[in-house]
Amino acid sequence: MVTRKKAVLNQKPPSPRRFLRFALLKGAVALSCVFPVLAAKPLHGQARVPKEYQLKAAFLYNFAKFVQWPDKSFSDTTSPFVIAVLGRSPFGDELEKAVQGRTANGRAIIVKQVQNIGAAHAVQLLFVPAADDSRLNELKDICQAQGILVVGESASFVKRGGMIAFKVEGDNLRFEVNTSAAEGAELKFSAQLLKLASNVR
Amino acid sequence: MTLPRRKLGGRQRYLFGSYAVSRTLAGAVCTNALFFFTGHSSGQDHSSDLADLSIEQLMNESVTSVSKKETPLNDAPAAISVITADDIDRFGIMSIPEALRLVPGMDVARIDGDHWAISSRGFNFPFADKLLVLIDGRTVYTPASGGVFWQAQDIVLEDLDRIEVIRGPGATLWGANAVDGVINITTKSAKDTQGFMMSTAFGTEEMPTTSLRYGGRLADNVYYRVYGKFFNRDGFDTGGGDDWSAERGGFRVDWEPSHETNFTLQGDYYKSDADKLFTKIRFNPPSTILTDAEEHNTGADVLGRWTQAFSKESSLTLQTYFDHVEQSDGFALEHRDTFDIDFQHRFALANINDIVWGGGYRFTTVKSDPSPNLVWTPNVSRLHLFNLFVQDDITLVPDRLHLTLGSKFEHNSITGFEIAPSARLVWTPSDQQTVWAAVSRGTATPSLFSLKSRLNLAAFQPPFSPPIVISEFGNPNLVAEKLIAYEIGYRIRPTKQLSFDVATFYNQYDDLITATPDPTGFETDPAPPHVLISTTEHNALSGETYGAELSSQWEVMSNWRLVGSYSWLHMHLHPDPSTEQDSPQHQFQIRSYLDLPHNIELNASIAYVDTISPLAAGTRVPISSYVRGDLGIVWHPNKSIEVGVWGQNLFQDRHAEFNSIADPNQVEIPRSVMGKITVCF
Repeated sequence: MVTRKKAVLNQKPPSPRRFLRFALLKGAVALSCVFPVLAAKPLHGQARVPKEYQLKAAFLYNFAKFVQWPDKSFSDTTSPFVIAVLGRSPFGDELEKAVQGRTANGRAIIVKQVQNIGAAHAVQLLFVPAADDSRLNELKDICQAQGILVVGESASFVKRGGMIAFKVEGDNLRFEVNTSAAEGAELKFSAQLLKLASNVR
Repeated sequence: MTLPRRKLGGRQRYLFGSYAVSRTLAGAVCTNALFFFTGHSSGQDHSSDLADLSIEQLMNESVTSVSKKETPLNDAPAAISVITADDIDRFGIMSIPEALRLVPGMDVARIDGDHWAISSRGFNFPFADKLLVLIDGRTVYTPASGGVFWQAQDIVLEDLDRIEVIRGPGATLWGANAVDGVINITTKSAKDTQGFMMSTAFGTEEMPTTSLRYGGRLADNVYYRVYGKFFNRDGFDTGGGDDWSAERGGFRVDWEPSHETNFTLQGDYYKSDADKLFTKIRFNPPSTILTDAEEHNTGADVLGRWTQAFSKESSLTLQTYFDHVEQSDGFALEHRDTFDIDFQHRFALANINDIVWGGGYRFTTVKSDPSPNLVWTPNVSRLHLFNLFVQDDITLVPDRLHLTLGSKFEHNSITGFEIAPSARLVWTPSDQQTVWAAVSRGTATPSLFSLKSRLNLAAFQPPFSPPIVISEFGNPNLVAEKLIAYEIGYRIRPTKQLSFDVATFYNQYDDLITATPDPTGFETDPAPPHVLISTTEHNALSGETYGAELSSQWEVMSNWRLVGSYSWLHMHLHPDPSTEQDSPQHQFQIRSYLDLPHNIELNASIAYVDTISPLAAGTRVPISSYVRGDLGIVWHPNKSIEVGVWGQNLFQDRHAEFNSIADPNQVEIPRSVMGKITVCF
């Protein structure tokens, strides 16, 4: 049991979907060896989003809480806080679940999926998945102009003008911030956020 | 210095639900203030639960594995509160005892510069013996005097992970003396304290306090930190003395060869000195002399811990430590060496049982040097303590109804075999509400002080008569104090922004130790012959206490949070009700956390403590109720610098919080101002 479990964990997930299949399979095999009772129970009906993205969803909600947006980012005082995910969402429905019933800057939060930046107006936070990383260049100027916080997950994302980028360090999630890019968009990071960022440029 | 009083103990350990435990013990695994790990859980990681965590907590979550079973604090079947590093930082808190003021219902009374009386649910005293305190899994309760030398307990507060406080009995997992509360202080893993950190505080009391820490990596997955902390603090005693200085240093190494395996090795050394006024008792005239008495505390400890997770439901922890303590003041000199080894194992059975069991052994030697005021007979004691515990968290209705049954079985050198069973039921009718109820038994082992000491309280020389000496005698025949506690609690979170927590209790105590008068006698030894008016410790007191603690959190806006609490305590002790006056009946506090633009935090608190009337040199002297007001501003100009300014006790020039037995002056806590700068890179 121990070694099997380790094998599951030591395997770096090549992609979320493969990891999922792998984890489900190995997990089920391992469990059925030791706990026939447990294995008889379905692990869970729906396909599971990797923990990494559940965590990233929770981080995005925290970013919404700890960054201050200029008034110009919202059309009026009652308009919601919009988190948009570019391209194919790696979150499943976890991002919706994470923000359900919560507020940011006193506004209800809604989650949207957008295929291109033209569709991203009235958005406050844009998440750029690794698969769409190359599109940062085309959209960063628009985001700066419209006061949109751009969050990505590639190693060079912040260097290339993204505002926050996730990075996996060992087994934990960390994030880097680019304050000058954020200032260009009139966004203000809270002290707490800066304190916890692993790298501030 | 203040007097030791009657009682002892010394068992420790583990939060109710087991898996608090593995984390608490493992410290290294994760830092998760909001979560208190009970055996049961709703199973999966839900994004909506994760979103309840702070960024700091999220950063400690593993990205690859499913979290260990954990239940939000909300679902714990006990009155539990958590103090985080953020609370400490925002309110400019400089010591562990001062941090405990933030806990609803906790009675924290500062006696003078370096002494506190701290208890929960009554029976406060400088050596309150019904509260168990652990720092990184090591007990700091002294079985000799029966209490905690608070002046010797300190950490680099920047490296604090959290302080978990349970009000009410925790004896099933922690054993003797976890009668009215357990305080679990954990520091961060070395992995989470990387880099250089220095903080310096200057102020009317801090002259100054400096903490230094450096954390680095020794190899892949092996992290370390070393620290030093030094302070000089101004005395509070207007009669003179009370200046306090201390230095300490230590290290911690955390090795995580895999996500399932953690090894921790840590050690500390400290030295603390304070000037005290002390009334020396003499049998020859002049019968009392007020003298300066240096108080010294030194100590060193080293602890190793291994935690191994086998699966989500199964883990093993093994821990051992050695602790050396020397304490001397006008009363006595105490040398204490403690060796402790513990293990615990957790596993699931038939899908509905989450079982944790474990055991341990502790060997303590205590040597006391006599003084004119305090004599120990014999002056060397060797104590063996064996314990075994088992607890089962049974799922009656998944996610809704859980029953936790367990007991501790303990054998100690003083009172022999003791057992501490408990039953806890928690019902979660909806995600917003929790109802819990518990019945538990706890015992407090008498301290060596109450068993074998003679304390000379006062002496005087009337005209034409032999001297008269007033003394208190220990009693080797004492048995353990017993408590049966009935608790009911309710938590509700009507919205994501608002929560309430009510805990109520009814406690029945028996065999409480109290000093009862002896017939007046005549003593020829020690010379000169004198009249002896004495009392002797007996298990002669019983009583009932009941009360409630209400606390609430309100996130008024995303940048403004209010936290409030009120506690009420009623004690009914018989035949002698005087001890009731040691603890306040009403306490109230409200704290405001406000985040302003430009990375500025503005924090304020107001606290009210009711009148008490504790002992001062044999008689009860009232302490008026007081309102304490604190205000602080913290500015983070950038990621590596923090600057803070605080005013504490703003409403009054000075106020007293407790009486000292040895110092005839009632020491008052002054208004103070402090600035602190913290740099890290």
